[in-house]
Amino acid sequence: MTQAQCPSCARLQAPRLFCPDCGAPLAVELDYFTALGLSRRLTLDSGQLETLYHDLGRRLHPDRFANRRAAIRNASLNATALLTRAFRTLRDPVSRGLYWLELHGEKLAADNKRVPPELAEMIFEMQETLAQLRDAASGSKPERENLRAQVASAHQRVETMLQDALTELHGNFERWDASVNPNPDLLVQLKAILSRIAYLRTLARDLERALELHDLR
Amino acid sequence: MALIFGIDLGTTNSLIAVMEEGRPKVIPDPVSGDTMLPSVVALMPGAKVAVGKAAIALEPHLNVERDGRVSAAGLEADGQGAVIRSIKRYMGLGGDEVALQERHRYTFGDFSGPVVRFQVGQRTFTPPQISAEILRTLKAWGEAATGHKVERVVITVPAYFNDGQRQATKDAGRLAGLEVLRLVNEPTAASLAYGLHSMASGRVAVYDFGGGTFDISILNVKEGIFEVLATNGDTHLGGDDIDQAIVDLMLEGMSEAMRHDRQVWNSARRVAEEAKKCLSVQAETTLELRLPERTISRRLSRQELERLAQPMVSRTIQCCARALKDAGLTAAEIDAVVLVGGSTRMPLVRDEVERFFGREPLCSLNPDEVVALGAAVQAGVLMGKSGDMLLLDVVPLSLGIESMGGVMERLIHRNTTIPTIARERFTTAVDNQTHVDIHVLQGERELAKDCRSLARFKLGPLEPAPAGMARIEVTFLVDANGILNVTARDERTGREHSVDVKPSYGLTDEEIERMLEEAIDLGEEDLAQRLLIQARNDAEQILGALRKQLAEYGDLLEAAERGAIEALAARLAAAQSGSDRELIARLVDQLNDATTPFAHRIMEQAIKTALEKRSVEEVS
Repeated sequence: MTQAQCPSCARLQAPRLFCPDCGAPLAVELDYFTALGLSRRLTLDSGQLETLYHDLGRRLHPDRFANRRAAIRNASLNATALLTRAFRTLRDPVSRGLYWLELHGEKLAADNKRVPPELAEMIFEMQETLAQLRDAASGSKPERENLRAQVASAHQRVETMLQDALTELHGNFERWDASVNPNPDLLVQLKAILSRIAYLRTLARDLERALELHDLR
Repeated sequence: MALIFGIDLGTTNSLIAVMEEGRPKVIPDPVSGDTMLPSVVALMPGAKVAVGKAAIALEPHLNVERDGRVSAAGLEADGQGAVIRSIKRYMGLGGDEVALQERHRYTFGDFSGPVVRFQVGQRTFTPPQISAEILRTLKAWGEAATGHKVERVVITVPAYFNDGQRQATKDAGRLAGLEVLRLVNEPTAASLAYGLHSMASGRVAVYDFGGGTFDISILNVKEGIFEVLATNGDTHLGGDDIDQAIVDLMLEGMSEAMRHDRQVWNSARRVAEEAKKCLSVQAETTLELRLPERTISRRLSRQELERLAQPMVSRTIQCCARALKDAGLTAAEIDAVVLVGGSTRMPLVRDEVERFFGREPLCSLNPDEVVALGAAVQAGVLMGKSGDMLLLDVVPLSLGIESMGGVMERLIHRNTTIPTIARERFTTAVDNQTHVDIHVLQGERELAKDCRSLARFKLGPLEPAPAGMARIEVTFLVDANGILNVTARDERTGREHSVDVKPSYGLTDEEIERMLEEAIDLGEEDLAQRLLIQARNDAEQILGALRKQLAEYGDLLEAAERGAIEALAARLAAAQSGSDRELIARLVDQLNDATTPFAHRIMEQAIKTALEKRSVEEVS
């Protein structure tokens, strides 16, 4: 990576958020792990992440440079935006996993974009129930209540599966971090779990919306 | 370093505050001692303006007739004027966005165009110009109280204000001669004031129900960091709407002409506001509306008021539920609930908030002052005087662009911490395309047509190239004020691209420049005009007096003296009808000097006559 010139003391610095000589923010592009001063590990302690974010934010925020030159204020704006994006991406294990894949030149393959086979039947059933609930808007009350209960229980089921998938994801993260030469199977597995979570999240959101809509009527 | 002041530019009242010895303090009006300036502006003929209580005093005299003509005593005969309340409701609105039921309240320029305009006589005023008058008055209060120039300020805005409403607030500051260093969201400002006050930590919900707007913000407060997790609200929902519901009740069954009469509406609104306040402490009150032909009288109980207000309060609670959901929290996970804004004085509001969050809300700081105090705290942060406090706010509404098929493509999601940056790559669709058009939108709906149009950008000119060859990276930056800035860069050449911005609503930079120039010109022209009128009045006075004296005491003058005086008087009379103020003033002075001996003689004569008269009386 190229060096960055400090907008305050004009020295050339290796890319990082701050100028080590004068403490001014630097306008640089960094990967999210480096920005937060973390090594590229998939397991992260969320409390530690928040502390890092707050400490760095306090030093970088544009409010700290309100009386400085435009170039310094701009660097602070850019550095703060980068820091926030880094924090938000790494805080959520799923977006962290996807970002980590991206950093390693990997992304969800075409077959990950299809409905995971183990979910296909369930997703199909739930879509049916959702359609019935929509159509029953003008139906009898007991009928609607019955369908609502079905959707609510489907929602519960999806939430449980999501929790399980997240646990599985953490297991996968830990195995990655522990291995020096990771088994290629780990990568296949990681992609499969991330894809499954993406589908489960969408499904959970659809079910939730349907319940909200129903309850509003 | 110059002081930075905090301003709460409210719908109903506005305040100015500053940090003093580490604590925020509200600055009162140096004359009356009031801490709150009613956000009421009277626009009168001859570019005269009154703000606050002075404007309220004019209210019964202005807006008398539907066309805004004025015929009241104390105002120039046949002049035109308007008294404008709640200008904040109109900030950032396009002409077509003025609600139908509000269109009869004032005379508007027209209902199209990117900015709503108030028509006063031959002139039109935009909301930022009218808000600027409120800011100017607060600036004068601040300068009188502190002896410091008020030049750099922090202004608060509703958290749910969109980009256009924020921009309009910044424009108002600029028009008032202020550098707006920062816009701070009102609920966040309130949390800063509370944070400094009690060093509360944990998850805080700030429920801010003011005169015209409602906001709910959920914050995580930890070791001086005030991090907004989610915000929601309605920028056209406030105490004004509850007043209006009472007005509708009072005017029920009356003719449309009556209901749309400005004077009737104004009186009814005042009665409604009083009744609402009264019912916060009493169980029942009487609504009494005196109209020229009749008086409407009616009892109103708190129960009835609550039935009227319930739909609006329910809407605020729905906003709370959405904000909690976006924050990923349940009501039980909230550690403290803070009440802000005058409308939270209503017992119904307190009860509903307490019921929803399951805990008693805090209101230890004055709900009318807490936002201004918070603005001062943020001003202190910018001056480096508020210790380690730091505010991390969010963008209230998603930002995106119109993509193929009229779909809104979100680039920055609502509740993203600001400042934030999104980059998007654009290319050409056909060979030798010279420009790329980008339509920027704000809102949560799926289709572009249902979102609010922010601006249209034209990228280019591009060098002729086959379709898809151009690579333009556009950076959408939302700054700490929640305002969008767009820049573009050619990826191949690395050159910055010019971005031709056409804001969909609001004022352009050129328009603001022109208004600033006009304000200065008008100010000078106005002053010169006033001085001329004064000089003419002085001339009139001295000439009138002279005519009387010559008729009565003319024999006290020698013929030569009289000739000299009359010649001077003739020159002054000629100058008086001209517009050379200095000539008039000089002649007035000369005539004064020339008539001094005459005046002495008249005086002596008068004394002599009086003495003679008395001696006659004494004798008889």
